[in-house]
Amino acid sequence: MKYIQIHKSPLFLKIIFIVSVAVIFFIGGITFKHITVLKKSSHFVTNSHAVNTELERLISYLKDAETGQRGYLLTKDTAFLRPYNNSKDLIRDSFNELSKLTQNSRTQQANLKKLLFYINKKQNYLSKNIYITQQKNYKEADLSYNLTIGRQAMDSIRKKIDEMIITQKILLTNRQQDYDSTMSYTPLLIYLTLIVTLILITIAFIKMNRDLVLLRNTINTLTVANEASNLAEIVGGFGSWQYNIDSGQFTFSDNEYRLLGCAPQSFEASSEEFYKFVHPEDLQYVIESSKSVQEKTNLNPFTYRVIRKDGEIRYFRASGRVVTVASGERTHIGTTSDVTEQVYAQNYIEERNRELENNNKELTAFNYIASHDLQEPLRKIETFLSRLISKDYENMSKSGQQYINSIQASAKRMRMLIEDLLQFSRTNKAEKVFEPADLNEILDHVKQELVQVIDDKKGTIESQNLPILNVIPFQIQQLFTNLINNSLKYSKTDVPPIITIKSKLVSALDEELLPHNTLAHYHKIIFTDNGIGFEQEYAKKIFILFNRLHNKNEYDGTGIGLAICKKIADNHKGYLFANGELGVGATFTLFLPAV
Amino acid sequence: MNTDFINICLADDDEDDRLFFTDAFEELKMKTNVMTFNDGVELMDYLNDGDSILPNVLFLDLNMPKKNGVECLLEIKQNEKLNDIAIAIYSTSSSEEHIEETFVNGANIYIKKPSDFEDLKKILSEVVTINWQYHTSGLNKDNFLMRL
Repeated sequence: MKYIQIHKSPLFLKIIFIVSVAVIFFIGGITFKHITVLKKSSHFVTNSHAVNTELERLISYLKDAETGQRGYLLTKDTAFLRPYNNSKDLIRDSFNELSKLTQNSRTQQANLKKLLFYINKKQNYLSKNIYITQQKNYKEADLSYNLTIGRQAMDSIRKKIDEMIITQKILLTNRQQDYDSTMSYTPLLIYLTLIVTLILITIAFIKMNRDLVLLRNTINTLTVANEASNLAEIVGGFGSWQYNIDSGQFTFSDNEYRLLGCAPQSFEASSEEFYKFVHPEDLQYVIESSKSVQEKTNLNPFTYRVIRKDGEIRYFRASGRVVTVASGERTHIGTTSDVTEQVYAQNYIEERNRELENNNKELTAFNYIASHDLQEPLRKIETFLSRLISKDYENMSKSGQQYINSIQASAKRMRMLIEDLLQFSRTNKAEKVFEPADLNEILDHVKQELVQVIDDKKGTIESQNLPILNVIPFQIQQLFTNLINNSLKYSKTDVPPIITIKSKLVSALDEELLPHNTLAHYHKIIFTDNGIGFEQEYAKKIFILFNRLHNKNEYDGTGIGLAICKKIADNHKGYLFANGELGVGATFTLFLPAV
Repeated sequence: MNTDFINICLADDDEDDRLFFTDAFEELKMKTNVMTFNDGVELMDYLNDGDSILPNVLFLDLNMPKKNGVECLLEIKQNEKLNDIAIAIYSTSSSEEHIEETFVNGANIYIKKPSDFEDLKKILSEVVTINWQYHTSGLNKDNFLMRL
């Protein structure tokens, strides 16, 4: 993993570059050394030749001198002495030359010293012989002796020179061997390093090639992404901008210009240019809200108005955040969306909401006040009736008494209606405070409240253990009261009513009655009675306000009780369903959310 | 005035209700002295007059012109001379808001005007014969509303 990372990183290329440079330097050094050695060797060979030649020349000068001396000795002709005299200077020059040529070799310098000794000796004897022969009475024996010694000296010179030539040869051979040994491994080394360099360069090439392909692919992807983003901006009705925090440079996308009704990139991208389009009333707000861009923090979304180039007022919404790219540069990127339609739609909805709320308030108030104020005159009618009955009932005619009874029954019914209506509107109006409540306790309260009716009807209420739920307690009590009251009211005349209440926790998915998109779990509370029941086709109707299945002569009621139950179930985000079978009984199923 | 009589005051703007009220006490044949006032201003003028005989029980209608029942209640409870009077709220409404408000402000009992004359007599006789000291010490929101 780590290897791959290094392999991918630019560091890898740098290493290859450094190694390659080092190798080239190395090869350069080797080559330089090689050439230097070659130059030295060639110089040495030349030097050796020069030494040999100079030695030959030296001996030839000596020979010339001797030849000249011999000619003189034989002929006494001084003309023969010319080469002899010349040879002195030539020999000296030649010797100096030799001395210079061999200054690097101690052996040859030592040889030269000896050679010089022999040469001087030879020259002494040569001049001595000439001198002897120039005497009037010289002895032949002396001359011949001198000549012999001169010849011996000459032999020694020859020997020494041969020796020197041989020494020079040996030196040359040694040098050659040195050179060979130096040069033998150099090509291999150069070759090897070259191969290594080639391999490195090849790897670098492959790597760079791969990087280039990658770069091209990235550029392709980027181009496509850019186009997609441009298209998205056009379709989505938004533009984008970038602000380079380090350089202070702004960039606007093409659509940013279009949103303002301008041709893309038709003016310089800067906040000052942009502010020219902002609605004067919103300008200060926009400047305040945009501060975070300069402060290098995320831009909180805000909405403002602009005046487009064509003069139309549009609502824009801006939002942005700071992005740090791989190189560490920080850029503030943001979007500008044209939210005019949304703003209008939202305003419209808000307005409608307010209207609805007001309507609802008025309706509730109307309902409440109507039922409340209606009670006042009704109460008086009833009170006067009760006074009339207690005082003058006996004095009335039979039909008069009948009318009075009918008036009293109607007034009573009206009161019931008004009271139930009031109850219904209160179910809407009252504050909805949810608190945990034990449904068993609530049921006990209901039983106490209805104890008179239950006793009258000889009814029994059986219940399982009910849950503790987060509810509006007085509303749930109202619901229980109404349901139980309903069952007691619609009991069979000859059968004592039995009401059973069962409860269980259910999953919404398992319940066919529940609509989709509900909560996951509900408490299912089932109220079953053995009353007169009803036909299933009326199961939904009975929950509608003022809806009654029976004539009010058979069963008194207002048709509000079950509507209240339904409303209470709604208030709890629950559901209430009815099931009936005529002559068998009714079942009410209440679903309350389990949280 | 005989001290054996129980002094009762009623402030109610409704003429019929005042009539039912006085009729009921007449028929009850209790030793009561009933005074009625047409509105809150009249009532308070009477109570604040130093020579007035203060009632033992005061019945207050809530919805009255000029000065309503709650305003009277507040004024009475803030007045040291008057705040010993037992106050019965006497209203058509039995809304939670009214019950709550009057209870909090120190009323002693809340009566919903009944729609039967016999019921009215029964309630009034019960209220007048209540041992107020005992009632007030055990007063809570549940027994504040008078039920038959």
